[in-house]
Amino acid sequence: MPLLLSRRAFLLTGAALGGTALVAAVGGVGYLASVDVDGLDGYVDGDRAVLNAFLTIHEDGRVVVNVPRTEMGQGIHTGLAMVVAEELDIPFDDRISVEFPVEPLPAYASWFNVLQQRPEEASGPVVWVGRRVLGLLGFIATGASASTMALWYPMRVAGAAARQMLLAAGAARLGVPVNQLTTADGFVRHEASGQSLSYGELAREASVLPPPNDPPLKPASDWRLIGRSQPRVDLPAKIRGEPVFGMDVVQPGLLYASIRHAPVFGAQVARVVNEAEVRTVAGVRDVAIIDGRQVAVVAESWWRAEQAAQRLDIEWAQTDGDGINSAEMSVRLQAALGSDAPYENINDGDVEASIANSSMSVIEKTYEVPFLTHACMEPMNATVIVREDGTAEAWVPSQSPLGVRTGVQRGTEWGSVEPTSITCNITMNGGAFGRRGDLDVAAQAAFLATRHRGRPVKLIWSREEDVGRGLYRSHAAARLRAVLGPDGLPSAYDALVAAQSVIESVAGRNLPFNPGPNGDRLTVEGVDKLHYAIPNRRIRSQHVASHVPIGLWRSNGFSFNTFFTESFIDECALAAGRDPLDYRRALLRNSPRHLTVLNRVAEMAGWGSAMAPGRGRGIAIEECYRSVVAQVAEVTVGEDGVVTVDRVFCAIDVGMVINPDAVIAQMEGGIAFGVTAALMSSITLESGAVVESNFHDFPMLRLANAPEIEVTIVDSGLPPGGAGEPGIVPIAGAIANAIQAATGRRIRSLPLTTTETIAERRTRTVLPTSAV
Amino acid sequence: MVEFVVNGASVSVETDSSKPLLWVLREDLEVLGPKYGCGIAQCGACRVLIDGVSSFSCITPVGSVAGASVVTVEGLADAEGRLSIIQQAWLDEQVPQCGYCQPGFIIAVTALLESTPRPTDTDIDETITNICRCGTYPRIRRAIHRAAAMLAER
Repeated sequence: MPLLLSRRAFLLTGAALGGTALVAAVGGVGYLASVDVDGLDGYVDGDRAVLNAFLTIHEDGRVVVNVPRTEMGQGIHTGLAMVVAEELDIPFDDRISVEFPVEPLPAYASWFNVLQQRPEEASGPVVWVGRRVLGLLGFIATGASASTMALWYPMRVAGAAARQMLLAAGAARLGVPVNQLTTADGFVRHEASGQSLSYGELAREASVLPPPNDPPLKPASDWRLIGRSQPRVDLPAKIRGEPVFGMDVVQPGLLYASIRHAPVFGAQVARVVNEAEVRTVAGVRDVAIIDGRQVAVVAESWWRAEQAAQRLDIEWAQTDGDGINSAEMSVRLQAALGSDAPYENINDGDVEASIANSSMSVIEKTYEVPFLTHACMEPMNATVIVREDGTAEAWVPSQSPLGVRTGVQRGTEWGSVEPTSITCNITMNGGAFGRRGDLDVAAQAAFLATRHRGRPVKLIWSREEDVGRGLYRSHAAARLRAVLGPDGLPSAYDALVAAQSVIESVAGRNLPFNPGPNGDRLTVEGVDKLHYAIPNRRIRSQHVASHVPIGLWRSNGFSFNTFFTESFIDECALAAGRDPLDYRRALLRNSPRHLTVLNRVAEMAGWGSAMAPGRGRGIAIEECYRSVVAQVAEVTVGEDGVVTVDRVFCAIDVGMVINPDAVIAQMEGGIAFGVTAALMSSITLESGAVVESNFHDFPMLRLANAPEIEVTIVDSGLPPGGAGEPGIVPIAGAIANAIQAATGRRIRSLPLTTTETIAERRTRTVLPTSAV
Repeated sequence: MVEFVVNGASVSVETDSSKPLLWVLREDLEVLGPKYGCGIAQCGACRVLIDGVSSFSCITPVGSVAGASVVTVEGLADAEGRLSIIQQAWLDEQVPQCGYCQPGFIIAVTALLESTPRPTDTDIDETITNICRCGTYPRIRRAIHRAAAMLAER
């Protein structure tokens, strides 16, 4: 039943699960501990047999894999279906389909994201309690490149356990000992008698058997799917243009809504001057103020609703943010870099003494990046119905069913309705990049739905609302300092990052508690450079509050800090008169994993070979999401200053790889996303409001400017790492370093170039004339 | 009342003739392949063929397609459901990531290969100006060349 448990049921279930969990905890890290306790007992429902939380087999042999993670283009539905199919011993063909499960079972919880322990290794009381609490809260979220790390092992176990149950059912049916049976291609076989039974025939009997504890997992040497590229399960429908996205949700009696947010973030609606007039526009059903902060128009067609919304004359209350522009934000960040009491994240050795005692001059550089938006191709949307019987249901392209549920609770509360149940359907996401974890859109749609009981309301933000009224990547700056030792390598490294905390902003909108800005690791990730052998290291951060809402944004702090640090390391190498690759090799002398990746990418790029005048190569490396990624960018800078990123080489050690082609695709896509940020786009403020509004003034990479990309996967034999975000991380630094190599000019702020339009929908990127 | 043909079927729609074709397709006809991305002819997610010409349905008033033949991504597969050669190339190269922009790309490429069966990279750069935020561009380029080669062999 796809029903949300009531709070009371939570408590009761919690007590029951607690008892079972105790048994499992004693049992160790086996099947019970990883799947069944928090999962689902098998049952039969018509022609389908549910074997556990992750797996259903139909009588005709079709297999449905429940993947409780959002498919937003990263290929996670395919990767996790592959591990189930591997252990289950079924072919990876079109008999397998994937669904995002509607019921938020504890087995699906994203506890790895919080506890940072792999399921196959997790133990101890903190994990035990954390898993139960996060499971009962229904904390399911897709992000931090974590889905494979979180689920590859539990879902293998789920597949292996189901296989054992099918074998047991086969043994009972054939009246032979189970050890005389084998499985292959979706059949249980008895070699001696030549008999075989399909999984579809056995599934219903198997589903009611007790799940085995610690089912044996296939050794890696027997894998026929894991590590071999498989076609994405979601692509045929997408290529046919089938309706899979939130935008495509069609329900009987659908109403559409368009929305206007305050140009200056946080402003309240003072008055809708022409509400009566807008209500008379053909097709308009409602004009509603949401939470005092937004105005929505509800109509029989979204086009109608948007046309009417364009006519709204809204007076917004004044706020403290009214006078803020981007230049003022820069001044604040620069001031914060002079903070006398920043938060101290790391202090190893004695940086101050090392700098004071050095005979060398201090290398000190300051870097800055602008606000950025996600610009998912599918604009923000949510469809919600509050039925006459009190039940509510939502269809949302979201990274978090918990966010949707909390959003619906909040929105219905604004409408003074308390739903008796909330069902959350997670659709395919047309891009997400961190934007779709927030509850905002679901809350707005739910409020509108309370005003139109019994009819589903689909709220769609126009592209202008998406670009200009979004949740942004922080505007950030850093001051990096170093002194070099006799070997030319930094003997002291001192970093101070000034940025608005992501966590503080996200928590403020989405969570009942706020850990506050200090110690936000998303502010400093990518600055510590722990893999570089530097004896004295200090990392500090200063939160700079603003009225701008900050959102999670693909690779968060790495998206700016790795640009800062990998640019700075090149500047240190230059000061030491060393080649940037050799310099990094020396710094990575104690980090063999990183050194391997670095050497691989250098080899791919032919590092050191001559380049024509006006061309240059730059390198950068980072460890992130338990992966190590290095890139070399090759750029050409014309005499007119036009910058072209010609080629990018990428080596990635992502640990053990499930679906290699999906990892390659994520590197390609991450690089494109990162090139856009490095060269092309920024979000700027004027009088407190965002200037940019659509793709004409928030330019993004297109086919004509896209670099050639070559990706190599380095196999370290380590457990899986994350792949969704690493591709972006080194690229801005690599390009900045390549521009320095090509021109001798160092650019320390993003975007590195300005974008000029040369024809309709065609642009070129040009170096600023006064680059330092 | 506007009458035209969508994917081979005659339709007549009772609507404001200034309503963009995109929203008539999506809301009145439940043809959901063409996507809303920008509304200002920048991203190309809404592209459809109008009498064979790749067009931005988000800025095309439905009144202007009266009597015309509109083909959306749903209309590219044959009667038996077999993918078009371009769609097949898209599948072979595993092009899409999120997939939201891809119907627009596939339509734009369908028109390109109709007029220019063996396009150069420059032809592609000048014609295929759609936006893909996931960054599937290297695969799109490969898929276009693959489709062109498949069409030449046919």
